[in-house]
Amino acid sequence: MDYQTETEDGALTLYWLQSGGCGGDTWSLFNSDLPNMAEFFETLNIDLLWHASISNIGVADRQTLHEAILSGERKLDILCVEGSVIRGPSGTGMFDTQFGRPKKDLLAGLAKQARYVLAVGTCASFGGVGADGEIEATGLQFHKWDSGGFLGKKFRSGSGMPVINLPGCPCHPGVVAGAIQTVVSEGALELTPYHMPLEWYGTMVHQGCTRNEYHEYRVEEKEFGEKGCLFFYLGCHGPLVYGPCNKLLWNRRSSKTRVGVPCFGCTRPDFPQQYPFFKTRNIEGIPIELPDGVNRAHYLAYKGIAAAAAPKRLKLRKTGI
Amino acid sequence: MGTTIHTFPVNRVEGDLEVRIQIEAGVVTDAWCVGSMYRGFENLMIGRSALDGLVITPRVCGICSTAHLKAAAKALDRIFKVRPPGPAKKIRNLALGVETLQNDMRHGFLIFMSDFAGKGYRDHSMYAEAVARYQPLRGRTAVRTIQETARVVEIIAILGGQWPHSSFMVPGGVVSSPNGSETAQCRYLLNGYRKWYEDRVLGCSVERWAEVRSKADLENWLDESRAHRNSEVGFFLRFSREAGLDRIGQGHGNFISFGVLEMPEETEVASVNGNTHFLPGGIAPGIRRSALDPEKITEETACSWFKDEGRLHPMQGQTVPYATGGEGGKYSWCKAPRYDGLPVETGPLAELMVADHPLFSDLVGRSGPDAMVRQLARLVRPALLLPVLNQWLSELHREREPFYQAAREPEDGEGAGLLEAPRGALGHWVRIRDGAIEKYQIITPTAWNASPRDGNGVRGAMEEALVGTPVRDPGDPVEVGHVVRSFDPCLVCTVHAADLRGSGRNFRI
Repeated sequence: MDYQTETEDGALTLYWLQSGGCGGDTWSLFNSDLPNMAEFFETLNIDLLWHASISNIGVADRQTLHEAILSGERKLDILCVEGSVIRGPSGTGMFDTQFGRPKKDLLAGLAKQARYVLAVGTCASFGGVGADGEIEATGLQFHKWDSGGFLGKKFRSGSGMPVINLPGCPCHPGVVAGAIQTVVSEGALELTPYHMPLEWYGTMVHQGCTRNEYHEYRVEEKEFGEKGCLFFYLGCHGPLVYGPCNKLLWNRRSSKTRVGVPCFGCTRPDFPQQYPFFKTRNIEGIPIELPDGVNRAHYLAYKGIAAAAAPKRLKLRKTGI
Repeated sequence: MGTTIHTFPVNRVEGDLEVRIQIEAGVVTDAWCVGSMYRGFENLMIGRSALDGLVITPRVCGICSTAHLKAAAKALDRIFKVRPPGPAKKIRNLALGVETLQNDMRHGFLIFMSDFAGKGYRDHSMYAEAVARYQPLRGRTAVRTIQETARVVEIIAILGGQWPHSSFMVPGGVVSSPNGSETAQCRYLLNGYRKWYEDRVLGCSVERWAEVRSKADLENWLDESRAHRNSEVGFFLRFSREAGLDRIGQGHGNFISFGVLEMPEETEVASVNGNTHFLPGGIAPGIRRSALDPEKITEETACSWFKDEGRLHPMQGQTVPYATGGEGGKYSWCKAPRYDGLPVETGPLAELMVADHPLFSDLVGRSGPDAMVRQLARLVRPALLLPVLNQWLSELHREREPFYQAAREPEDGEGAGLLEAPRGALGHWVRIRDGAIEKYQIITPTAWNASPRDGNGVRGAMEEALVGTPVRDPGDPVEVGHVVRSFDPCLVCTVHAADLRGSGRNFRI
């Protein structure tokens, strides 16, 4: 029963550290079905050294494990970090301690030893909830839009890669499983300027949204519970933010935008935004923020024509979503 | 060897908690629960737009985000002065109910019983079977639990877009309008979960389980068949008794529940005693019960690392971080909630005690609460919820009523959203001034359970339950872990112990 303290031949090792977060990325990963959590680790021959929600090794074994990793005696292939790095108050990290010491110190030690470091979720990637607050939260290698974060701009893990950011609140389980699968098979992982794999963060959230026909013809809602698009008035970030929500779907079933919840842009470095949710900031009825690379004058003309071309069935919300 | 200091990390809970225990002659003689992480959620809300709580507060907790969403939406219903239509209430209840179903089984088989497969039980007569069932990621029950719970939360995705962390409940109802084929899919998913639950977890139908109404019934049930004895509940009872879980974790014996699932206006579901909730809210100091008066809820910070303002109702409460290091009396990032000045415990056992459930009233009436009874309540709670959730789904299939009642956002107002989350009593207290949030105070179930001492030096629920726990091996205090986890705390625990043979002093580590 000592499988967690003795790595099997050829197995890769993974340590999952929970810091300033809610555990949502873990429970999101538990929702994966093909592979489920058990199949995932078994198929990829990954030895899960530690995960606070899963491991049942005793105290002494855990301490031995920590010492072995931090001294370099025990190899660490993959370090997954969930939750932000809490640095407050005044940079001490004492708002988040383990064994009376700031947890950020353990994180720094583990990151030094790992071949790959993955920031799972928006808090670990960019600071997320708490990045603007008294807890002085930050991401592993970014603080919101700025490179740096806790480990610094120049940090590279043993493989030569920077921290791989997998934002989302929570991160989609398909992204976590896919990213780990790619690194264990030594596959190439092309990253965006914010260190997010292009494979999952190269698509806008609203790609695949079942409201897209309403979006095309500018049939926009001002009230909840309708079928139209949520972009112009209800604060939806679907056309603005990169993420696979409507491509991979959530829990294999749906997405927030499909059921009528605006996208809150939870993969974006500035999540949670400092202006109100559920309300689009407008200039004369047109959103201030337009999709990446779109010219405002052209967009105005296009949306004017689109609205004029809208068929009655959409205006009357006759078409299903 | 005089004094020795041991550090015990107890994991498999959400968040961060340290429990310091004082051991004398192999028994815990005092305990302190130390919430060791501060995330500052309440202060993040101040100045934000009224609806923002629907997005921010689910992020308090990754395993009960729907409960926070519902509490936030309920507080806003009051502030917006709007009543959600009946079908919207059913959808809100279904999502919260399904979140509870996943929580109870994930906690049971991935978190609590995982200890039975740990090295500390090498000498237990059922150890080999426990490993075969609960070894992390490998045991057959552990793997099946991962599969079944991933499937059942699909219901919340169908109704609300995703799980966890959706924001589909808004003042006035829900934003979604599931159609007939979608509610039909939900019924298949729920039915599949029920089949697993009956076949493997109970070893009998939920109707047969409902006949277990006393300690004697429980013994008869266990003797009745191999299916009962070998079910997860049967195995849990047999393993726990040999391990002595029925002799640890007593506590104060005061229970609080805010009421399980508000009843929608038109439904064939019958609530207990025709109450406004399926299971009524209330307070049960011991086995005496009384109605809940939310005005009697207070928080204090005498032993918490916040500015001390005495005993305050949450609507008056402040969250001002005060000190780190904790010399003197302050030792936790948790405040100390009290009901009418009393420390109380909350969770499935409290829900059933407040509802006067015959089996649990009998068990607790005989020998008080303990770690086994507390965990048993969690394992069998789905037996009560499954038929009710199924009934609401079938009613939704027939009713095509509105799911949302539009309401105007007021400039000012205040309201509270109180409900039973998977871990027990959860409250959000909200005040809006000039269109922005002026006050947001949250009392989580774990704040009740893992409360530090109050201004009178009275221990919190879990602290009290730890006192008297025998610890066989201070290097691996599995008993302490059982008592802590029987409360299903939403915290990653580290137990710090000072072994006091010789010195009579406490140690900070």
